[in-house]
Amino acid sequence: MGELDNTEESKGQTVAALSDNIKLDRLGAGDLTTFESLFQEYYDRIYGLLFRLVGSRAEAEDLAQEVFLKLYHHAFTHKRFQRDREHNIGAWLYRVATNMGYNAIRSRQRRWQRNVYLVPDPADGLNTEAEVTRRETAVTVRNALAKLPERQVQLLLLRQMDLSYAECAEVCGVAPGSVGTLLARAAAAFRAAYDEEIGGKP
Amino acid sequence: MNQSDHELQDVMDKLAALEPTAVDAPHRIRALAHMRQKVTAVETQRQPGRLQHFFTPSPARRMALTIASLIVVFAIALSFPAVRTAASEFLGLFRVQTFAAVSVSPEQMALLQKLAQEGLNPGKVTIVDEPGLEEIVPNLAEAGQLTNLTPRTLTALAPPADIRVLDGGSGYITIDLAGARAILAATGVDPALLPDTLDGARIEMSASAGIQQRWTDGLLLLQAASPTVEYPAEVANPTLLAEAFLRVLGLDAAEAQRLAQEIDWTSTLLLPLPANLVSFQEISVDGVSGLALQNLEGTVSALIWQKNGVLYLLQGNTSFTELAVLAASLN
Repeated sequence: MGELDNTEESKGQTVAALSDNIKLDRLGAGDLTTFESLFQEYYDRIYGLLFRLVGSRAEAEDLAQEVFLKLYHHAFTHKRFQRDREHNIGAWLYRVATNMGYNAIRSRQRRWQRNVYLVPDPADGLNTEAEVTRRETAVTVRNALAKLPERQVQLLLLRQMDLSYAECAEVCGVAPGSVGTLLARAAAAFRAAYDEEIGGKP
Repeated sequence: MNQSDHELQDVMDKLAALEPTAVDAPHRIRALAHMRQKVTAVETQRQPGRLQHFFTPSPARRMALTIASLIVVFAIALSFPAVRTAASEFLGLFRVQTFAAVSVSPEQMALLQKLAQEGLNPGKVTIVDEPGLEEIVPNLAEAGQLTNLTPRTLTALAPPADIRVLDGGSGYITIDLAGARAILAATGVDPALLPDTLDGARIEMSASAGIQQRWTDGLLLLQAASPTVEYPAEVANPTLLAEAFLRVLGLDAAEAQRLAQEIDWTSTLLLPLPANLVSFQEISVDGVSGLALQNLEGTVSALIWQKNGVLYLLQGNTSFTELAVLAASLN
């Protein structure tokens, strides 16, 4: 991605952040319309991120509800949002969703007494061969991701969801200029882990 | 596309296996409906806790009404329990000398909120003298002159960043017996606990001006003469009415009866507190017994006490034990 693109993205990011401060003020004043507007804007992507992380529809839905409830609660109490700096609601939501997703995985891990990360709930309703293959691939991918640091997983998933480098940088808390390098490292780590999972098969 | 881009794209293609399929696609509308229910539940639990005002840094104007709000809460509480002895024939007078707190379950709060939304009220509040705007004053001495109070401050800290005088106000509540009885019936309490003579009884309330001091870290000290509530002879049989009120708050019959008999309703302010938001305990503060309130996270606390006819509220973004240490420096 070229430098011009990054600059344009940065401008867009600033505008979004300024606008988000106003939204947070409205949220803090109990404006439900603003809250629902944010829900409509971000729900699909937050759900999508959580689904990729936990691999279960029901769990991803529950977690997405918790993420937005957290936004509502924190905006209302102003505990997390300070007015003297700019905020990016989308980035905040992605960060909270990632944390909640990983917390759920750890909780599930403790519950099941398993030593494997990111294992989805037992699959049900496998109707077609294609579906079975897809699920098997998904399990392999998740097992490979489980060997990576959480920050690398977060970065890979966000990028796979078509977030821009600037957006990825905002969510992950890194400099926009370093995203390309970090992505390349994460991709290399994933490829190594994936190859290990499939036993060197192509 | 160079080699690196190809490798990254290959990884992205593999990760695509994690995407939700059509079967797992998000149901945003359904999710929004669930979200609305949850937000409504949060609001239902939050709203009845008028004390929430104490836990939220108050913007301009709101604090000017704090004492008046407090009075309304007092009055609603007092609209059920009688605050005079049966032997008295004339107006009784209530002044806050001590506090009691009752924990109310979220379910009961939600029920009472629902009843209020349906228009069931124990009485009609009429404001006679609406509190005016708060006034910023340069120092405590001037605040004292305007309020006839002897200002006290936290000597352990630097002088407050902001000193304001809050206007007083007055009003009355007219008991609506049908509404009060309907609330009792809806909460499973015998409506006959409330005597016919209660209908239309008028309870007068008045609040004096107060002094508010704020520090930069959100610490707030409020000082005001204890508000007064006067009530007519129709408001009789204190323990029976108090018992009805406690039952409405969700206490079982035996516990409500015991508490109603133990509490001196001529001087005790009963605070119903949402169990899922606030914990409380008695605390020794400023040489007297007061009430310590704290949110369940332990991040916001408040102390309330009365001394020499003056009501104090100290609130901050810290634990109540730290507030008590600060309160020891009051002078």
